[in-house]
Amino acid sequence: MSKLKDEVDLLRSIPMFVNMPANKLKLLAFASDHVSYDAGEVLFEQGDDSDAAYVLISGFADVLVASEPGAQSNKVAELGPNSFVGDMGILCDIPRTATVIATKPLETLCIRKEHMLDMVKDSPALALAVLQELVQRLAKTTQDLSEARQEISELKGDRS
Amino acid sequence: MAESDTIHEADRPLDKRLLRYVWRHTRREQIWILCVILASMPTYFMVLDLPVRIVNQPIQGVGFEQVGATKQFLEFTLSLPDFLGGGSWEVFSGFALERWPYLIALSCLFLSLVCINGLFKFYINTYKGRLGERMLRRMRYQLVDRVLRFPIGHFKRVKGSEVASMIKDEVEPFGEFIGDAFVQPVYLGGQALVAFIFIMNQSFWLGLIAMAIIGVQATLIPYLRRRVLVLGRMRQLTARLLSGRIGEIVEGISAVRVNDVSNYERAELSNRLGKIFFIRYELYQRKFFIKFLNNLLAQLTPFLFYVIGGYFAIRGTLNVGQLLGVINAYKDLPSPVNGLIMWDQKRLDINIKYAQIVEQFNVLGIAESWKQAPSDEPVAPLQGAIAVSNLNVTDDSGTSLVEDADFTLPLDSITAAIGPLGSGAGAMANTLAGLNAPSSGRVTLNGNHLNDLPESIRGRRFAYAGSESYLPQATFLDTLLYVNKHAPLRAEDTTRKHEELHPRSTGEAKASGNTLLDFTADWVDYEAMGINGPEEVYVKVREILELVEMDDTIYDLAMRQMLDLEADGDLCNSILSVRRALRERTGDTNLGKIIEVWDWEKYNEHATVAENLLFGTSYGSDELSDDNLAQNRHLQGVLAADGLDRVLFEMGMELAETALELFADLSPDNPFFDQLNFMTPEQLEAYPPILTRARESGFDGVDENDRHMLLQLPLGYIERRNRLKLVDEDIQSQILAARVRFHESLPADMKDRISVYDTETYNPYNSVQDNILFGRIAHGQASAVDQVRATIRELLLEQGLEDDIFRVGLQFDIGTGGKRLSENQRQRIILARALLKRSDLLIVNRGLNALDNRSQERLIEKIIERARGATGEKPFGILWVLANPQFASKFDQVMRFERQNLAEIGPPDELAEISPAYASLVGLMERVA
Repeated sequence: MSKLKDEVDLLRSIPMFVNMPANKLKLLAFASDHVSYDAGEVLFEQGDDSDAAYVLISGFADVLVASEPGAQSNKVAELGPNSFVGDMGILCDIPRTATVIATKPLETLCIRKEHMLDMVKDSPALALAVLQELVQRLAKTTQDLSEARQEISELKGDRS
Repeated sequence: MAESDTIHEADRPLDKRLLRYVWRHTRREQIWILCVILASMPTYFMVLDLPVRIVNQPIQGVGFEQVGATKQFLEFTLSLPDFLGGGSWEVFSGFALERWPYLIALSCLFLSLVCINGLFKFYINTYKGRLGERMLRRMRYQLVDRVLRFPIGHFKRVKGSEVASMIKDEVEPFGEFIGDAFVQPVYLGGQALVAFIFIMNQSFWLGLIAMAIIGVQATLIPYLRRRVLVLGRMRQLTARLLSGRIGEIVEGISAVRVNDVSNYERAELSNRLGKIFFIRYELYQRKFFIKFLNNLLAQLTPFLFYVIGGYFAIRGTLNVGQLLGVINAYKDLPSPVNGLIMWDQKRLDINIKYAQIVEQFNVLGIAESWKQAPSDEPVAPLQGAIAVSNLNVTDDSGTSLVEDADFTLPLDSITAAIGPLGSGAGAMANTLAGLNAPSSGRVTLNGNHLNDLPESIRGRRFAYAGSESYLPQATFLDTLLYVNKHAPLRAEDTTRKHEELHPRSTGEAKASGNTLLDFTADWVDYEAMGINGPEEVYVKVREILELVEMDDTIYDLAMRQMLDLEADGDLCNSILSVRRALRERTGDTNLGKIIEVWDWEKYNEHATVAENLLFGTSYGSDELSDDNLAQNRHLQGVLAADGLDRVLFEMGMELAETALELFADLSPDNPFFDQLNFMTPEQLEAYPPILTRARESGFDGVDENDRHMLLQLPLGYIERRNRLKLVDEDIQSQILAARVRFHESLPADMKDRISVYDTETYNPYNSVQDNILFGRIAHGQASAVDQVRATIRELLLEQGLEDDIFRVGLQFDIGTGGKRLSENQRQRIILARALLKRSDLLIVNRGLNALDNRSQERLIEKIIERARGATGEKPFGILWVLANPQFASKFDQVMRFERQNLAEIGPPDELAEISPAYASLVGLMERVA
């Protein structure tokens, strides 16, 4: 069977797309580009306009964040096969919040912004999944924040 | 002297009545043509008179009763009327001729008089035609001239297409009438009078009959025509509204499509057309009834002549020659009388139409013409400051736009104005640019009212860039240079080819009161741009385009252009050497992975099946175009030879099924359709029944049309892009074999319809980029497009071709309203050309708001740097109404507007300290970003 079939299966493995109807996923796969990157090539850079999200088919990539433009960036996460990256930027129409760079030869499925948005508008299930995903991330960020605050206050406490 | 006359003329409101307008401009010509007409009258009379003499004298023999009698031919005697003594002088005694030669002589005289009469008519008609055309030209010119001087606010109320329809169509009938305006009544009246006198001369009673019938015509017809006039006026108004409406539909087409209101528009249109129909229908009914009546009356008179004239003739009171003459003269009587009536009606009708148009163009507050007087003197740079005191601006509905603004703006200051939309910042900038008229208060520059300065000062020393300026259709280069075309400065524009001018074009322009400025001259003000002449334009333009970061766009546009082998032969040859250099590189680097080169021996997976079969570009006819390829007999034969058509047919079915599965429930304007490369949304609907039939009957059973539709699909299929694994290696080799067969047996008439890929020739039917690549950029390679672009650019630079390519890009046609460019690109061009003017003050009103924040920031920084003179350019001032207040801190001075008022003005760091409102406006935006 065609590559398209494999790509549909790949999309299906992303939590956000689990409940999508098969023909919609196939459409998304059909409309997406299969893009390969060599190690060291950049998928997108922090501060760029967001135009697409990527599903990693094979290979690995690093997520780098700089605290302010021009500053040294730090690695905050590593992505492997079946990860979905760049979705926040296209859903919320904000510039890229991080840089993603391939560390090993990378195969991706590149989903364009207008296609993703159209899917979300079309499918309540997907919209709900997106919402859940974002809320989960928010919960995690909140938790990280409170932990970080605690650490800071502990550090301050130590000093005093 | 002539100059001051025309200016005076232009400022006078248009005459309320057409005849006065015509008389004022064409007095001399009208009098001349009247003289010619008077001169033609004796000939006309003689043409009527001669037949009577011919019938009576030589034919019937009056005066030839004796054998050998003669008559004097061409005898000419001047005689005084009886009451002056009745003396007479013989000027020419003539020739004595016998009966038979006399007949010949009179007949020949008749023939020559007819010729002279015809020549008179010919001269008069041509002269009238020219007169009318000149007046038409003058009127159209004057109307457009007034449009150019309308107060800017007036344009909110007028629709472009309505104005266009008035100037183009509604004025048209005037041209015809103007030629006839004074001439026609005199000419026709004279003719009628001559014919009438002639009839009266022959028979008083017959004359009375003719007069009675004319009397009936002259009273009845105008009465009937009154309603026709009203209808004509209604027709004009409805037609004008129709063209306005159609213009609106076209302009607002996106709103129509997005909101599914096309049927509302259809109903509206049908309603309008219905109204027009009934008006026109009634018009026809009445018009033809009047025609019928006219004809009837015209035929009634000869009837009476035959009966009554015949009676007189039988009784002997009237001779047959006289009767024939009367009937003959009467033949010529109804048409001048009719013509006179028509003329009077037309005069009324045209007067009304004219008054309607004049009303639209006699606008209050129209700019005086001296403000736009052409001047080829350079305007000295301005210095000092603009002082604004108590400035109030209101729009045409009386809504306040700016209230009581007081400030001083030094021309060299670098100022930002911030505030939400409608806060007054934009209105203030537009007022300084001259786009809004202050309703009260003063705007002065070094003591002079800004509005009292000629437009040449503001137009050349100020530059303005709004967020949505309209770009007329032109090439990229012309769009940029447009703002520097103030006066014809150099004799010949070498960059453009002009059609040959008529030798009398200047004289005619003068006769019609048009401007005598030479359009074919080179209008570009090179000195104002800081360069010496046309040869330096490209360098300058390039520098500015690099500043606004448009150079890559131009380069990309150039890559998409097709070159003309004849005009750009050298460049084409150079591009071939770039192609060779690129091929050398693809051999050893990973570029080979990114570009799939055309190879006669290999299948190109990044190209369509059709491209692989044709191995070339079709041109010249539709036969081999993508849409018609499946129907091409030659290709069908080639495919059938080894059953490839069956394979493709199966592929077509699979593609149709896939497309239907994925796209069937999407609306045609869904963005996903961009990805469906082998089918259009409209075609999709046709496939379900085709597919059903194909499944039932198979390849052999299905009808030809269905087969074509299905074969069409795989021809547009790209293996690497669509990723459906339909073209495996076996099929690839089959296609390669078909490619060879296709070209081997190509019929002669198709040979010049296809330009075959050949490494050593330039293909003029492909873009520059395709010619360099000689292949396809691979799908699915990250940054492949960027790498290819960078490599090509490097090669162009190496071979010294970059400038040539840049010039090619500047010849790109930007489309009507610049619609072939994005909003973002249009805003950059508008800013670029404002910078190209090297003005003293650059006013930007929310320009660049379509750009992303980072690009906006970069451009603002670069332009401020340039304004400060840091780049070696002449420093200039800036007044920038920022769409995004966060950039305000980059400026030297900030004006903050709030609810139509200037709330505060000062250096940004000072404002940040003292004004919480300013701080929050600037800071708030930072947090969001």
